[in-house]
Amino acid sequence: MKLDPFTLEIIKNAFVVANEEMFHAWARTAKSPVIYEVLDFAVAITDKDGNLIAEAPGVPGFSGVLDFAVKEVVQKWGKKIMPGDVIVNNIPYYSGTHLNDVTLVAPIFYKDELIGYTATKGHWTEVGGMAFGSWNPHSTEIYQEGIQLPCVRIYKNGEPNKDIIDTIIINSRLPDYTFGDMESQVASMRVATKRVLSLVDKYGLDTVLFAMKKILEESERYALLKLRELPKGEFIAEDYIDSAIAGQEEPARIKVRVRVTDNEFIADFSGSSKQVRSPINSPYPGTVAGVKEVFLAITDPHMTPNSGLFRPIKVIAPEGSIFNPTRPAPTSTYWEAMACATDLVWKALAPYVPNKLTAGHFVSIIATIVGGVNDRTGQPFAIVEPQPGGWGAGYDMDGTSGLVACGDGETYIASSEVYEKNFPILVERYMLNTEEGTGHGKYRGGFGVIREYRILNSQALVTIQVGRREYPPWGVNGGYNGPGNKVILERRGQKTEVRRLTAEILSRGDLISIRTSGGGGWGDPLDRDPKLVLEDLKNQLITTEIAENIYGVVINANTLQINWEKTKEKRNQLKKARGRF
Amino acid sequence: MTYRVGIDIGGAFTDLVAYSDDTGELVWVKVETTPQDLSLGILNSIRQSKIDFSKVSMIMHGQTLVINSIVTKEGAKVGLLTTSGHRDILYLQRANRRDIYNFRYVKPTPFVPRYLTFEVRERIAGDGSVMVPLNSEDVKKATLELLKENVESICVSFLNSYIDPTHEIKAGNVIREILKSENRNDVHLTLSHEISREWGEYERTNTAVLNAFVKPKWIKYLNKLDSEIKQLGFNGVFYLMLSNGGVSLLNFIKEYPIYTIESGPVAGVIGGIAIAEIIHERNIIVLDGGSTTTKASLVEDLVPKVSSEYYVGRSRYEAGYPLKVPVIEIAEIGNGGTSVAWIDEIGRLRVGPKAMGSYPGPACYGRGGDKPTVTDAYVVNRLINPNFLLGGTLRINRELAINAIKPIAERFNVSVEEAAEGIIKLANENAANVIRLISVQKGYDPREFTLIVHGGSGPMFAPFIAEELEINKIVIPPIPPGVFSAWGMLLTDVRHDFIATNVLLLNESELEKINSMYEELDKKIERVFRQEGFEEGLIIYHSADMRYKGQEHTVKVPIKTGRIQSEDINEIVEKFHEYHERAYNFRLPNNPIEIVNFHSTGIIKVSKPILKKEVVKGSPEEAVKEIREIFLNGKYEKVPVYDKFKLPTDKKVFGMSIIEDPTSTILILGTQEFYKDEYGNIIIKRR
Repeated sequence: MKLDPFTLEIIKNAFVVANEEMFHAWARTAKSPVIYEVLDFAVAITDKDGNLIAEAPGVPGFSGVLDFAVKEVVQKWGKKIMPGDVIVNNIPYYSGTHLNDVTLVAPIFYKDELIGYTATKGHWTEVGGMAFGSWNPHSTEIYQEGIQLPCVRIYKNGEPNKDIIDTIIINSRLPDYTFGDMESQVASMRVATKRVLSLVDKYGLDTVLFAMKKILEESERYALLKLRELPKGEFIAEDYIDSAIAGQEEPARIKVRVRVTDNEFIADFSGSSKQVRSPINSPYPGTVAGVKEVFLAITDPHMTPNSGLFRPIKVIAPEGSIFNPTRPAPTSTYWEAMACATDLVWKALAPYVPNKLTAGHFVSIIATIVGGVNDRTGQPFAIVEPQPGGWGAGYDMDGTSGLVACGDGETYIASSEVYEKNFPILVERYMLNTEEGTGHGKYRGGFGVIREYRILNSQALVTIQVGRREYPPWGVNGGYNGPGNKVILERRGQKTEVRRLTAEILSRGDLISIRTSGGGGWGDPLDRDPKLVLEDLKNQLITTEIAENIYGVVINANTLQINWEKTKEKRNQLKKARGRF
Repeated sequence: MTYRVGIDIGGAFTDLVAYSDDTGELVWVKVETTPQDLSLGILNSIRQSKIDFSKVSMIMHGQTLVINSIVTKEGAKVGLLTTSGHRDILYLQRANRRDIYNFRYVKPTPFVPRYLTFEVRERIAGDGSVMVPLNSEDVKKATLELLKENVESICVSFLNSYIDPTHEIKAGNVIREILKSENRNDVHLTLSHEISREWGEYERTNTAVLNAFVKPKWIKYLNKLDSEIKQLGFNGVFYLMLSNGGVSLLNFIKEYPIYTIESGPVAGVIGGIAIAEIIHERNIIVLDGGSTTTKASLVEDLVPKVSSEYYVGRSRYEAGYPLKVPVIEIAEIGNGGTSVAWIDEIGRLRVGPKAMGSYPGPACYGRGGDKPTVTDAYVVNRLINPNFLLGGTLRINRELAINAIKPIAERFNVSVEEAAEGIIKLANENAANVIRLISVQKGYDPREFTLIVHGGSGPMFAPFIAEELEINKIVIPPIPPGVFSAWGMLLTDVRHDFIATNVLLLNESELEKINSMYEELDKKIERVFRQEGFEEGLIIYHSADMRYKGQEHTVKVPIKTGRIQSEDINEIVEKFHEYHERAYNFRLPNNPIEIVNFHSTGIIKVSKPILKKEVVKGSPEEAVKEIREIFLNGKYEKVPVYDKFKLPTDKKVFGMSIIEDPTSTILILGTQEFYKDEYGNIIIKRR
């Protein structure tokens, strides 16, 4: 087919624009802050086979996960799907995350011809289950995590399917929010459908279908081009997920074998732990999305993702494993294992792709809820938030401090002033975590944070899950590991470290102290430029003891001068002691 | 005979526009900006304008000193005092990873390093109560340490000072005393609450720190400029352009340079609003097509959207630095007349964001630039007249443009003209996206707006964009594209905006508190105007950022000025529902409503120059200077080229045309018609 290449380019861009409009339409009209503030959602347009033509994930953990849900619809509904239908699906094993993330899929028909789908997935605040907000760190079976919606019609021929909707609503503790989010989700999909159809009107059906095909082909070509810049071979990494969050006595062993060839990028998780009776399991599509995230990081982080770009990726995860759990495995805090899938592939490749990857970061989102009923107003309140932490050092730079984990992206940590105005808590300290420190190295990891909430209410409930405590962020090429994440509860002056809580009761004056880990270091600390060590000391990020004993840099604490002679001596001495010659 | 003068310093040029109050005559001058000493460029422009400055009644001045100082990080060494336990505000920021797949993402570097940040024991709680009184010893110790470190500027920002600034004020007094006793009055002081009374400690602290960062340089600049223009005999009023679309007097703005951060671009919006008023349009989008970027701002009912959601250096992949100061909302993308067309790794044609700027500029300028730009594409297809550009002083070389585009044509196996058209199409698409950003994505339908277009490349893009977005009316003002912002400054009123946060339910029982919030803001406005020497003519407007209780997002709603009575509440509630529904598509009829931010605007109107009317007689045919063969829609076509000055007033012309004057080219598509009105505006409509 002959089409001028520039018009084709404009049509291709139009899919991205249509998709962005869908994204903003939902963000603008959703009722739950988790959608419009946290951007815990994703939208996509696919072709009729479920290949992503354009996608816009609000968080990186949703990259390339929507095609699974559409393909499930294609498989289950096939030719039975009608114009005006909207299919709902939240079964993690097929759609990728947890029951809170509800996927809607709607066909795009031009006259009688099915030309593609719009698909959206987002975190509904409430879908029932054993705990308020549905997700919680203690479920042992999916049946405790909320209502399951197995790829059924929520709209038929453009009309709401009241039978299903009523069933969903009655299962929700916040029916208004649930219904509102659903309505805005459906409305946003109509926006994109309208745009795609107007493209067909303007350029003709054949042209638009041709453009969709070209998008996939070109992106695949680009992915292969980028793949060829990567080192080839097999890269292996192993790690563990802390026993405390795996809900068992042993830590969960995880393993990946990454094979990079000229045409393929294969992540094989064989040998990883079986699924656990704790909700950290990452459903297969989630695991795949986790791998896609690293793939984007090491190829081109600014590429508009679509299925063509992801074609070289193959993910192997044995059924029944922590990376491909089967019913009735719980998955409501799936992000823990999913982030580990990303982290593991990252770890395998970091030394070989230093221009794109850093040492390990604090990984665990440390999802936190602090809530209750405000004594003063009688109204319920709830803080629901991820925590920021330290990122790993690069081969040529220190890690970044106080950043959200890889599963989060354009996610904003709330202002202390906003919290203190709205909730009966005091943010006593929010600062860089120089107390536990970071992974030292030629370049050091970024610092985690200390975030402390003092309860100013008669009672408050805390839910939290702390990963990466025993198996901390990893260093590269002799860089030190980070210290690991840590959360301490202080009740009536009594301090206890906690790993996993659901709705634990705290009283007035109690303190929750969240101390996230610094990132891993890169290279031997003895190779660090002494001036950078001095800088860190001057900025009170490290102590003179650390400067001397870890970095071998002798500094006069009063004058802040480096003693170069003693430094040379000290470094030689440390090198010998550490077996470096 | 008196003049008023607008002076706008931009990155490349310093523009001066003078308006004679008596004759209505406009004089404009463009000289090169002198980055080493900005006042030099101003003096050059004054000299070139030949205006007698003893006859100038007022100067309105916009500049890029403040933003450049921040972007290039050339400013003062700043020390910061924070609340104990919150030392790392500038390092933590909001912890977002804006470049989400980039695992080597680095946050913006703070403007104050950790070792120059000191904690002070003091604490005001979220309800305004004092939990820990201010420890003056801590303040004293910190100040002395900072002086030892030779800081040039000190900033104080305490937690919850937006509710109660007492501790900041006290700390400020302690610092001032020390500066006095140490004889260090050259060190400047900034207190966060003086700049912003909104919540959000990172944003407010960063704003105050950036003010402190620029302040020493700013004061030096203003003092020098002030004395230099006085030497030229100027004894009128010296106004400075603010980012809120107003002007303020020198003595006020000396302390708060940060309020002028976007002073140039916002003046263009003010100019656009003035044009709209003249032609009786109320809802407009002002489009500024520059040489490296395209900017757009949406104006509803002639009121520019002023908010404090501004960032310096923010992009799709960079978090930037937030500033809680009132700024007219303007969106910007990297697509302009000198944007470069290139082929990416997999062989797709792309345009921008890289641009050639004015030097060396597009290939056709013949200054050594060999990259194909959007301007080259226009030249190749003869949409731009090779015989004059840049006021006729710069000759254009079409051969060079053809050579630059040839590789693209060869790569796609099309003619050079077809390749050029491809570049034009993609650039137009980019420019259309900036309008989608401010309209469709915010719940506005662009078809309900009139497009007012300025800038060098704007009149070339606009007709295509209007087609794409189905915008019915385009207006291209008679002001030369390069000096539109400077002209806009002449039309600016004296204006101050103050915004304060306090979360209050909108109901009878809170009415007292609500009214007292506005009263306090109004008092502050009156005080500032009095300080500036204004006694009369102050008009105050109120608005509020409101939300449904339980939701985070707010919408700005205008509210009647003066005391709110209980019978007014329903009206405000109804208006909020309406605004909320437009922005977010839903309303929650029985949900309680909260006010989060109280916004008060004070304006003193300045009498404004109006455009001169001039009726040109004759027929359009007489204005045709040539019939040119241009390449558009895949083929060569003969198109009449009109001399803009000779075009008769109010005579409609249909179909594809080109209008030229010495400084700009306007293209009209086959689906459009146009006429020139009595002010010299070119009005283009869809048929």
